[in-house]
This record gives sequence, structure tokens and C-alpha cells, in this order.
Amino acid sequence: MQPTKQNTFEPKIIAFVCTWCTYAGADLAGTSRMQYPSNVRVLKFPCTGRIDPVFILKAFQQGADGVLVSGCHPGDCHYIAGNFHARRRFAVFRKLLEFVGVDLNRLQFSWVSAAEGGKWVEVVTDLTEKVRSMGPMTEFKELAMEEQWSGAINTPELQEAYNSI
Amino acid sequence: MWPPKKGNHSGLPLPLRPHMQKQITQQNLNILLDSLIKEGIRVVAPHMNGGTPLYEPLTCSADMNTGQLPRRSAKEAFFPVCEDIMTYEKEGQKVTVTDIDPVRFPETVLVGVRPCDAAAIPVLDAVFSWDYKDEFFLERRRKTTIIGLACTTADDACFCTAVGLSPAETKGSDLFLTPLVGGGYVCETYSDKGEQLITNHKELFSDTGGAKTLPLAQPETGKIDLKKVKAWLDEHFEDPLWDGIATRCVGCGACAFVCPACHCFDIVDEGTEKAGTRRKNWDACGFWKFTHHASGHNPRDGQPKRYRNRIMHKFKYYDDKFGQTLCSGCGRCVRVCPVGIDIKAIIDTILNSEC
Amino acid sequence: MTQPIDTSIYAAITEAIQAEAHRILAEGEVTAIVGYAAARRKGSAQPIIITDAADSVKLIFTPACVNNLAVYLTKAKKDIPKNGKIGIVVKGCDLKALSGLMGESQLKREELYLIGVPCAGVLASTVCPDQELTGDSIAPKCTECDAHLPTGCDFVPAETLVTPELERKYAVEIARLEALTPAERWVYWKEQFAKCIKCYACRQVCPFCFCEQCLCDRNKPQMVDTTPRPAGNTAWHIVRAMHLAGRCAGCAECERVCPMDIPLNLLNRKMAKELKELYNHEAGFEVLDKGPLNMFTEKDDQSFIK
Repeated sequence: MQPTKQNTFEPKIIAFVCTWCTYAGADLAGTSRMQYPSNVRVLKFPCTGRIDPVFILKAFQQGADGVLVSGCHPGDCHYIAGNFHARRRFAVFRKLLEFVGVDLNRLQFSWVSAAEGGKWVEVVTDLTEKVRSMGPMTEFKELAMEEQWSGAINTPELQEAYNSI
Repeated sequence: MWPPKKGNHSGLPLPLRPHMQKQITQQNLNILLDSLIKEGIRVVAPHMNGGTPLYEPLTCSADMNTGQLPRRSAKEAFFPVCEDIMTYEKEGQKVTVTDIDPVRFPETVLVGVRPCDAAAIPVLDAVFSWDYKDEFFLERRRKTTIIGLACTTADDACFCTAVGLSPAETKGSDLFLTPLVGGGYVCETYSDKGEQLITNHKELFSDTGGAKTLPLAQPETGKIDLKKVKAWLDEHFEDPLWDGIATRCVGCGACAFVCPACHCFDIVDEGTEKAGTRRKNWDACGFWKFTHHASGHNPRDGQPKRYRNRIMHKFKYYDDKFGQTLCSGCGRCVRVCPVGIDIKAIIDTILNSEC
Repeated sequence: MTQPIDTSIYAAITEAIQAEAHRILAEGEVTAIVGYAAARRKGSAQPIIITDAADSVKLIFTPACVNNLAVYLTKAKKDIPKNGKIGIVVKGCDLKALSGLMGESQLKREELYLIGVPCAGVLASTVCPDQELTGDSIAPKCTECDAHLPTGCDFVPAETLVTPELERKYAVEIARLEALTPAERWVYWKEQFAKCIKCYACRQVCPFCFCEQCLCDRNKPQMVDTTPRPAGNTAWHIVRAMHLAGRCAGCAECERVCPMDIPLNLLNRKMAKELKELYNHEAGFEVLDKGPLNMFTEKDDQSFIK
């Protein structure tokens, strides 16, 4: 049977994680041979406090269909308070994205400790399946192809070049 | 190539004296525009985008709204806010670079262009063709027919008359419309392109029947002595005046971006290491970054120095090179400046200064 | 909504400002005063920096005195002489910005001489400066103003003021947008941001955009595309709104100066609304040690985190 476009869609999920808790948790999931979707690309940061909201924006612009941000549980931060600051920043950033029209179902935050390999698997699987059912994130990709009227030439070749970006 | 020879280097046909005068009703003008749109020609005209008047491509002639001076000038029809100049792609060791072919730029009719905007276009021609021939600009120019429209209203920011132009200035227009009492326009041709347009649609035009034209706008400012301004600028690169007027400048690019004659641009690469695009976009001498060197040194290290460059370029440097003034008196910079800097007031100050 | 707004007191305010400016300059209490002066076009005003007591007659206050002069005291503006105490004419909204800058250690209160102007409102736009102040022509920020009378200043030219009751323009518009679906809001903002030409007037007039080098001017790494295309514009405006969240004082200069009429302050007001709901933060005259995004409590909401 020829696969249709719908069921071949594999979402790209970008995960920004802190090195001390969630990265170790993901590592534990791996060493424990737990299975989870390979859609997730993990980027390691020293702390969730280092994860600038602009990274999330950039991820969407570069073609992510979903973004996960994950770090230590409150009180467990290696740097004492990094995740407390991050919590406020992301609470506000979510509201901003929502206001400009980004569907927040594509953006997930979680606390996953170094001991929670199982929770990592659960969070990644849930987000991947949710995004898979939503289909590709098209807003930012379409936006990247748009021009001010004066610069637009809209030839098929250009369109193709943009599609490949 | 230095100094540039004065004269026409663009290869664009020189304007003719008016040798065809016709008349067209508003209804027929709309029919003309609609038929051009149907032919696949891009018709760009003043249009209300929300509450903001802008030159934009029309989908229907009824959308044209010439009531207000558009917020941005008509230069973007030839010198887009941002345009692609090439794309690149990398696969393994193989890099493919694809130039944008200017042949693909759309045929355009620019209609309802204010005299101050149209008059600035030949000024831009000189810059984009004296040494390096900018095919992106010139090809768009070749493919565009400009229909100017005389101004019947002006506000106190308008000063076209001060720089030697007027609400009836035809410089830069291929075809020039002057509104008639009771509707319709007198239509004069100033180039082959303009004549061609009339010839192709002659059933829509009639001979002028001596109808009266509407009274044109009368900007309050009288003609200023540009030679005297230049003579002062020649001698006053260093002057306390610059600090006095430009300390308040906050260093944005609003004045340059709405200006019909400013033409600085930046070239940037955007994309990833795998694929991307090289783009040309507007830049402005008011920005701190404009003259910032890679070393960290910035020769224009304060806002007064940057603002001085704006005035110098408009009334001295450009005159030195091309024998013209880089300002058509549209007054846009006066209206949009966040801190109320008024280029006309500065020229007045210069003219009134003793030395 | 064409109700006229009473600005008759502005003439008396102008006189009082001139007298006080003359006194403090003549007595050497300040070395410079940042205020407003009339400009060439009828009814127009522009910022002025005076250092001579004789120039104090140039100072005015009218509905065209729209600027937030606090921007001239920030690091971004190195061209103002700062060799002594500086006097500055501030409206209530401008004073909030100054308080914010003091909280961020950009300014010291003792280095300023504040002339706090009671303000019933200013014009939304100075494209045509010669117009009456009415419910239509008034700046949208003034319809929601809770700071008509600045407090804690060194000099206040008048103690009372008739303040208008107007429909809160931002609250109405934010409610309208919130009621839309995300996809509809995306379309709305896409149209707005598409107009942007990256003149950065919004950044340059903002008192809180005092970074020596803006993130958006950096290319290593290039976090935000610099070209004025819809993609780069959207990223820029999201980043701008985020960097001002919890700091913006609501002077709405960004929106006023936008030559393309993008309703930028809507983003700032929306952020302010969320910060009020989430952390009970509001910009005011009080100088805070830390803004809402520079602090936390252990009990902060985390219902959105798994």
C-alpha cells in the first residue's frame, strides 16, 4: 500500500534540556533501554535558566514542529535558583506566543530529574504523539517564504529554493 | 571612473518634452488599470492598508486611494525594502549558487505617484548606474511605467517648492495626470513609454476639451538657495550647529526609510550552512551600526556626526557628484521623525547663519 | 468620542516650567535641562536640551509634547552632557520609565532634578501636530492613564488637573484579540508585522532599550534575521516584547513613532496584563530593586509544566 502524506509525517521535536537533571534523565532512559520516539533532538544547556526564549523561537523558525523545554524540579537546581527564574520567564513567554497566534500545544515544559528516565519517555512520547496528530507546524515555514510586495518575484525556482530551506 | 561624468549613464531613455496631451475620465482610468491588472501587469498605486496609506499592488482599481501622501515613497518599486540577489545550497562538498535573474521582475505600472516621489527616481537612476550598473534596480526601472499625479493638497511639512520642484513637477513621470474640475484628468506624455500606454488604450482617452484643472496645492515654503546651503556645507564639516540640532536624534532609520531619495542598502546572508539566500535590504546612515568597523572602531561615533552625514549627503556630496540635490521636499522625514527633527528648519538655520 | 479634553492648564504649566528652569540653571542646581520646545511647524514640539538659563523661555508644555524624554538619560544616548545634576521634564508615564531605569541601576535619583508635569493627555501622533486634543486624537495610552499627577518630583508646576474619563482603548483591543482563535491572531499579527521596515524607531526611542549592542544587531550568533521580511520582522517584534516584559513602563513611544502604524504597545500591554495576573506586578512610580522576571517565589504558578 502506498503510504499517504498524513501517516508519513514524522514531527521534528527539539528538546532544550538542562545538563544536570533532564539530560541525565534522558541518559538513564537510554541506558535502561527504554523505548521512546526518535523524533526528538536533544540540545543540552547548563541550566533551564540559560535557555533564552529566542532559542524556542529560532527552533520553530528553523522547522521544528514541537519544542520541549525541560530541567530540574523546583528546589533541585544545580545553581540554586536557575529553574525558578526560568519558570517565570517561560510562563510569560508562553502568553506572548499565544497572543501572537502560536498554538501552545506545540510547546511543552517539564521537570524531569536524573532519576526519572520513565518520565522522560512519557513526556517525549506524549508531545510527539500530540504534535503528530496536529500535523506539521506550517506558520513559521510559510512566513519564511513571504516577501514584502516590492521584493516578491515568486518564480517556481525560488519557491523550490525556499521549500528546501 | 572617478569623478563620475555628469549626464545619463543608466541607459534608460531620456525624458521627452510633452508631445501628447489627452484627457481621461476617472471611470476610464479605472478601466485602464483593471485591464492592465487582467493582462498580468503589476499595478502599484497609493492604497489604504488599514489606516496607513502605502504604495501597494492593486487587485482592483477601486482600491486606489490618492487622498493622502503614502507613508513610504515610491522608490520601493525599484529599490525594494528587501530583495533576494542569490540563493545557495550545499550538498556534501557541492555548492550550488543560483543568481536571481532580473528578467523575471514583473512588468509594472506605477500610478498616482506624487511629483516629489517621481522626481526622486531620476536622482536614484544616477546613483545606480554611474559606475556599477545595478541590474536589479535598472531592470525594474525599464519594466516600469510611471504615471505621476499633480498634488492638490499639501500640509506644512511639504517643501517641494523649496528645493525647486512643485506640485505640478513632471520630472520622472512617463505620463502625468492633472485633476480636472468635476473629475477626470488631463494626461500628458513625457516619454515613449507613456505614449505607448496611451496608444495601446487610445479608446479610453479623448482630446482635451479645454476643461479647467483643479487648483494645485501651494506649499507654504518659498524656493531656497541650494547653492548657498551647499556653500555653507562646503566650509562647515566641523560646526557647533551639528551638536545643537542633532543631539536629540535617537538614531533610528525612519527618515531614511520613508525618503524617496535615500538609497543606502546592506547585503546579508540568511539561512543555514546548508541553504540560504543573499539579500539586499535598506540601510540608513542614522544607525550606529552603519559605519561600525569590524575592528570595533566607529568613525561616526556620535549621533551628531551621523546626522551631519545625512544633511551633507543630501545637499553637498550628492551635488558634488551628480549636480543635483538628494531631496525632493516630500516632508516625510519631518512627519515621521520620532523626535521632531525638521530638515527644512535645519536648512533655514543654515541659510540664516552668519558665516 | 470627539469630546474635547481640557488642556487649559498647560499654559500655566509652561510658565511654571520656564520659571523653575531659569531658577535651577541660574542657581547652578543643574547643569542641563531636558525639556520640550516649539518647532517650525504650527503646534509642533521637539525635545530640547538647554544649559543656559536664558534659554529657559524656550521650554513649553502642550499636547504635542509626546516624547518620553527619559530616553535621553540612558546609556544609549551618550551625547547628552552628564557632568552634573540634570533636570528633566516628565509626565507621569515618563516618570514610571525613570523609576524603572533607577531600579535597573541605570540612573541615580540624586543625579536628577525632576519637573513632574500634571498631564491630562497628549496627541496620539504628531504627523499633523496642529490639532485639538480630543477623545479621538488623544494617545491611546492616555485613555488608560493612572499617572496623570506624578509624585515624588522635585518640582510640580500645578497640583490639580481635570482628567478625562475615556474608553480604555488597549483593554478593548486586547479583549477583542484574546477572543480570536490562535490562527486568527496569527493572521492579524502577520499583517501588522509585514508592514515593518526595520527602521528600529521603536527600539531607539525606548528608554529600556539601552543595550550597548542589541541582540538583533549581532550576527554571531544571528538569533534574529535582520532583513525586513515578514519572518525577520515577526521574530524581532516577539523578541522586543519579551525583552520588555516586566520592564515596560507603558509610555507607548514604540507605537507612537512607528512610521508604519504597527500597534506595538498592544504587545506590551498584553504582557503587562499577564504580569499583573501572574505576579501582581505593575509599573509605577516606586523604584523596585528587582523586576518581576528577575525574582521568583517558590509558589509561582507552574500549572503549565509537566
